[in-house]
Amino acid sequence: MENIFVNAAGGIRNLLESAGLPSLVVDISIMTTIFVAILVFVLLNVLWLVYMERKVSAYIQCRIGPNRVGPMGIFQTIADTVKLISKEIIIPKNTNKKLFLLAPVMIFMPPMAVFAVTPFGKGMVALDLNIGVYYFVALASLSTVVIWMAGWTSNNKYSLLGSMRVVAQMVSYEVPLLLSIVGVVLLTGTMNLTGIITAQQSVWMIFLQPVAFLIYLIAAVAETNRTPFDLVEGESEIITGPFTEYSGMGFAFFFLAEYANVLLVSMLASILFLGGWLAPFGLTFIPSWIWLLLKVYLVIFLLMWFRWTYPRTRIDQMMAFCWKVLVPLAIVNIFVTGIGKYLYESVRW
Amino acid sequence: MFGKGLLKGLKITIGRFFGKKSTVQYPEERLPLPDRFYGKPDFHYDKCIACNLCVNACPNKVIKLGTETVEKKKVVTGYHFDQQYCLFCGLCEEACPTDAIKFTKDFELTTYDRDTIGIEFVKQGQIDKKIKEVKQAAAEKAAAAEKAAAEKAAAETKSQTEEADKAETTNKEGGA
Ligand code: SF4
Ligand code: SF4
Repeated sequence: MENIFVNAAGGIRNLLESAGLPSLVVDISIMTTIFVAILVFVLLNVLWLVYMERKVSAYIQCRIGPNRVGPMGIFQTIADTVKLISKEIIIPKNTNKKLFLLAPVMIFMPPMAVFAVTPFGKGMVALDLNIGVYYFVALASLSTVVIWMAGWTSNNKYSLLGSMRVVAQMVSYEVPLLLSIVGVVLLTGTMNLTGIITAQQSVWMIFLQPVAFLIYLIAAVAETNRTPFDLVEGESEIITGPFTEYSGMGFAFFFLAEYANVLLVSMLASILFLGGWLAPFGLTFIPSWIWLLLKVYLVIFLLMWFRWTYPRTRIDQMMAFCWKVLVPLAIVNIFVTGIGKYLYESVRW
Repeated sequence: MFGKGLLKGLKITIGRFFGKKSTVQYPEERLPLPDRFYGKPDFHYDKCIACNLCVNACPNKVIKLGTETVEKKKVVTGYHFDQQYCLFCGLCEEACPTDAIKFTKDFELTTYDRDTIGIEFVKQGQIDKKIKEVKQAAAEKAAAAEKAAAEKAAAETKSQTEEADKAETTNKEGGA
């Protein structure tokens, strides 16, 4: 069980090599297989997350949620997607047609690219970059540009307002997010995601960096544009923000990409703070990738729980909270972490 | 403490998450309806005395009552209920002296087209039966009356003949 995916990849490699193909071709086809596998993994998770969100919201509101399509309504998202595919994609007059249609396609690119460096389990990482954290955050923040693109090309006041909010919000919250990660990087001394996970062998980062975890969680909620920071699509003010003009599959892409981003920030949270694929209490008989999934879904549940508990904040409150509370707190956290590490090391030696 | 309210909110929602759900799965499960619920009307042909009170009580002219006089008796030949105009106010039920019109608890009154929404309660067979009954009853009554009359007449003639006989005998006696 533990090495099922690693062995599968090795098996394919052996098969191709024994067929006498040149090593370059073998490498390329292995990489393609891995990326297709990651793509399928992400898409399946996104479909599941939409369903899960509806169930969680229903349960919190004393309802049952979707329960007609398939057992427990599990195929509801598929039915909805099929419905959205069959709908007309309306392109409003005076839009920049090419960019308008490009935006929903591009929105999936940053999350997909990020999953290339994610360690899904022991030895299960497509690209083991030594600046993994940097790559992760840098690419993840690219979706801001795509949403801005969607809002700008829609040529609609609500879209424009929404996308301006996206830029303001995401750029602001990027700062505390990064600063909270710096604390972890300081302690582990590496930016390699696998390195960070192995450094948590004895104690998870959440116990050494609780404040950083809290800051990260709040910033992550804002980064994924979810309640209480979902001003981007504040329905009562600006309809659906940048996605107002989109219909059919165009809209569905943005909708699904939101969940891809949720998966992404939860993945990073469990890698940085919850020990990634490390098994707690020595329960190593459960494969590492299952442990990672469990932790990821724990964080996702936390995010959903937040979403269905808190009301939406106002934009000035949100900005003030970011710059006046989170950023100073994160800087103090780095400072304290640095001093603590220095003291610890000087005491030890 | 800062953030106390936030934690309290989270506590409440997680309680709801694991708590009892209030959804009722409608077609399979139903909530109990109150006793005085007015649903689809029900009409008892045999109880109706064709008094027209329900028609007069209705504010919306929902009920059309058809009658026919058979042997001096009113027989209901039609009871049309234009359901789409009904308020379900229950005034007709209140007005009815014999409880012939009653409301059931069936609230699924939707139909696929407009023509099928009105209800015609009275069937031709019922009318025929009733008319037959009324006629039979009338005939029986008439027969009974005739019989009684005949009996009476017979009794009268009998007493007359007796009297005549008496008179004859007295006459005879007197003549003797
Ligand atoms: S319930 Fe009211 S509106 Fe309906 S038929 Fe009876 S009297 Fe008329
Ligand atoms: S009030 Fe009752 S008895 Fe009179 S006509 Fe109406 S249903 Fe028949």
